[in-house]
Amino acid sequence: MLEAALMGDIPRETTGSFDRVVRQREAQVLRTAFRILGNWADAEDVAQETFLRLHKHRLTFSNDSAAAAWLYRVTVNLCFDRTRLKRPSLELTDMPGLDRSAEGAVLLEEKKQQLMAALATLPTKERAAVVLREIEGLSTGEVAAALGSSEVTVRSQISKAMVKLRGILTREDL
Amino acid sequence: MTEQEIREVFREMREEPVPADSLARVRWGVEQRRRRAFSWKIAVALAMAGCIVAGFLVIRPAKAPVRTVEPVPLEIAQVQPPEEIPVRSVPRARRVRPRPQQVKTVPVLIRIETPDPDVVILLVN
Repeated sequence: MLEAALMGDIPRETTGSFDRVVRQREAQVLRTAFRILGNWADAEDVAQETFLRLHKHRLTFSNDSAAAAWLYRVTVNLCFDRTRLKRPSLELTDMPGLDRSAEGAVLLEEKKQQLMAALATLPTKERAAVVLREIEGLSTGEVAAALGSSEVTVRSQISKAMVKLRGILTREDL
Repeated sequence: MTEQEIREVFREMREEPVPADSLARVRWGVEQRRRRAFSWKIAVALAMAGCIVAGFLVIRPAKAPVRTVEPVPLEIAQVQPPEEIPVRSVPRARRVRPRPQQVKTVPVLIRIETPDPDVVILLVN
């Protein structure tokens, strides 16, 4: 459904107001931007710009997945624009964790930080593909539509990215 | 870290909440920028309306003024003296006065005597 919305036309029928879309999708947009850009300040700017574009073009969506698809695509493109201007930086201790046992939480948090640091070293398109596929949980087709590339390319990018990440993290473990 | 572990950590990251202050900043920023954009639209619309009105006032033809018409100086026609026409002497017709009708009247004689016996005034008719 999301893929169809990404690939095809943006439905015209309105189901919700702009404010409702913002409330429903702000976390998705902000999280995606943060994962690609690596810092909250830039992610907030991208999120604001994404929603302003939505408002400016007065786009309306017939269903939630169409809105999600459009927002993913615009967010990723704005992140690409931003990373062209400067390399992504990394903030390490900003994402609030879930309640877990203290030791396990610390260990997991450490792994997350390592992974985010490794992610920041990847080329932007590979990073975006990994973020959308592995963290946001989109299908390969949906990722391809959001990135404006083919599924084959996305698979290749993710495969290369995973190899690089494994390499970086293995070196760190040593 | 193996690929499996990497994927698991990614899945964990999927469930992470987003910081509330970041969300609040995004909402606030969107609202502010929307308002600013709206204000700009209003300002631009007012400016355009002002320009249109100003342009209209500038190019509008002025109210028909009361025109004072200067009196045109009269041209004095130059009159050529008439060519002299030879005067022919025409015998004037004799004017005939009507004669008063003679009324036959009886002659009146008034004699006035003065103290001087040698002077007598006679009034005839």
